[in-house]
Amino acid sequence: MTATQDRQSTDTPTPGTTGEPRTINLIQAVTEALAEELERDRRVVLFGEDVGARGGVFMATAGLQARFGKERVFDTPLSEASIVGAAVGMAARGLRPVAEIQFADYMGPGFDQIISQAAKLRYRSGGQFTCPLVIRTPSGGGVKGGHHHSQSPESYYTHTPGLKVVMPSTPYDAKGLLKAAIRGEDPVIYFEPKRLYRAAKGEVPAHDYTVRIGEAAIRREGSDLTLIGYGGVMPDVERAAEALGAEGVSAEVIDLRSLVPWDQEAVVGSVQKTGRAVLVSEAPRTGNFMGEVAYVIQERAFDSLRAPVGQVAGFDTPYPYVQDKVYLPGPNRILAACVRALNY
Amino acid sequence: MIEVHTPDPIRYVNEDGQPVQALPGRFTPELLRELHREMLRAREFDRKLITLLRQGRTTFYAQSTGMEATQVGLARSIRPGHDWVWPYYRDHTLGLAMGVPMYELISQCLGTNSDPSRGRQMPHHFASAALKFVSISSSIASQVPPAAGSAMAQKYLGTDEITVCTFGDGATSEGDWHAGMNMAGVAQAPCLFVCENNQWAISTGVRQQTASETIHVKARAYGMPGYYVDGNDIVAVMEVMTHAAAHVRAGDGPALVECLTYRVGSHSNADADAEKHYRTRDEVSAWVGRDPIVRVERLLEHLGHPVSSEERADLIARTHREVDQDVLRAEATGQPDWKIMFEDVYADLPSHLRTQAAALRAEQDGGRA
Repeated sequence: MTATQDRQSTDTPTPGTTGEPRTINLIQAVTEALAEELERDRRVVLFGEDVGARGGVFMATAGLQARFGKERVFDTPLSEASIVGAAVGMAARGLRPVAEIQFADYMGPGFDQIISQAAKLRYRSGGQFTCPLVIRTPSGGGVKGGHHHSQSPESYYTHTPGLKVVMPSTPYDAKGLLKAAIRGEDPVIYFEPKRLYRAAKGEVPAHDYTVRIGEAAIRREGSDLTLIGYGGVMPDVERAAEALGAEGVSAEVIDLRSLVPWDQEAVVGSVQKTGRAVLVSEAPRTGNFMGEVAYVIQERAFDSLRAPVGQVAGFDTPYPYVQDKVYLPGPNRILAACVRALNY
Repeated sequence: MIEVHTPDPIRYVNEDGQPVQALPGRFTPELLRELHREMLRAREFDRKLITLLRQGRTTFYAQSTGMEATQVGLARSIRPGHDWVWPYYRDHTLGLAMGVPMYELISQCLGTNSDPSRGRQMPHHFASAALKFVSISSSIASQVPPAAGSAMAQKYLGTDEITVCTFGDGATSEGDWHAGMNMAGVAQAPCLFVCENNQWAISTGVRQQTASETIHVKARAYGMPGYYVDGNDIVAVMEVMTHAAAHVRAGDGPALVECLTYRVGSHSNADADAEKHYRTRDEVSAWVGRDPIVRVERLLEHLGHPVSSEERADLIARTHREVDQDVLRAEATGQPDWKIMFEDVYADLPSHLRTQAAALRAEQDGGRA
């Protein structure tokens, strides 16, 4: 058993299910999770702009309306405030709404519904009303989408108590985290790294499983440096670790998977072991969630640090169209940060 | 016959208490006296809470004086505890009339241990799960899309509850209002939207909110009937509201009722000198003259069943005593412990909040971790 599998403590086979693991891509994992949850629980409903007959602009919901009916999988008016707000009302009434926002960039009109209603309903009512909803949305760059189809707005939501925020990078996690989000009792913002939809392939079990929100995955064990990332940057992070390995540097790779709550123990434990950390995300640098990770590393692992914590992020510009690939932290920029940490 | 999209508000009783059309049979003197008692109780609750505010025992209060017929009339037209209500922050009279215990309301205003919302919200933002009265949010109109969703859920679940969503005139300028109305219209969701048009959103008058002649006509744009009613005439409010609620309950889609009323007091204690800054004394006086409570008293007098001054004084005294007792009872429960600050953020306490709570515990205990 690898370290990654070891941390997926909720990966438990459902009695009676058999079959070999299958290799699928990330968006297929999303579709499978949705289909299985719709099948499992009649309280689950799925809606958003174009999710019905069209199956979503990325086809994440393809075939689900035909299979589960228009009552449970339906198109809404083009209004993020309506989509999120309706999900709040449905959740308060005992349903398990899974709302799709077509692009994370479009969440703006639904922002107040997310932060004023979804995030706070349980708290402000003293637990009298709850809001177990999931908002799924494609996020991040690398698809030539310009700044309204490529942004990484997760930090806005990690800053709001009451929300859980997750972003998978593998089909296994995409499926397991989405199922956990749907079955949980809290509002979850579920970011899907769109450039990995078809690029990320991997095995998923044939049986039912969930991945616990809040647990990181150790993708690779190492002893010289810890590389920490999440979402769309993970393939490049792993490429950088491979390149370091070819040079005799042993890099540990952690995929956070969940940003709220996040796995401080995995990160701090790793940095205490390696003495160096490089944080990688594609969101603009100022106010980036990784700033919190860096803070916790210096707070809890300061004595172990042999170099300043490195950060590779997007730039503080609107996401550019033409310089799409330059904007993203690729293996070269990640390697440069690693070299700085190793040579400090 | 209740008409839709009327140019003038529907009215049954004029300001002198004279019926302007035949009173429906259910408005017996007994019912009218009951309604009068409920409105007067809410009025006196307002008066006492303002006193509490002046005494520094609470920090915020938003009166509903002048709007009692709208809120009591609404409460009487739905099924409290059965139908779901997504209210706005000036709806304590609605809450009281639906059966929210005065003790709970006062506890919430005082933020005591007896507050069901556990001291999390500023005064006047209460919730009652027992009455399906969903927690009030301060951000204007943000309850409207969730109300549409609540009604959509009800349609999906197939029960005969309806959802009621209230808001002021100011809310109708917000994008959320249009989003929620549109969503409910498209989904044909069983939602009764109620605009308590009290004509002022703090210092912004309704003419600065909308270029539309009335608010109820906007319903047409969302594919639902819009009703316009004199919100100070409880008979008219109940007749129209009952009609609209029946439309919604029958599965014929949502409806909007605009109740034309007036906020006689200030927006809150934060703008106690409203007459000095943004509205005229004459305007306020004119609306004080249209007092919904006085109107029912005049109607009862006209019907030969006057409310005696002793009866009135007795009810006022009883309400005052009730408030006083509930305040003492609530205050005796004390303020919630700091620990509750960390509860109900999530279903379970995540580790980062456990860490933060432990740090605060150490600080609160004078450094003894």
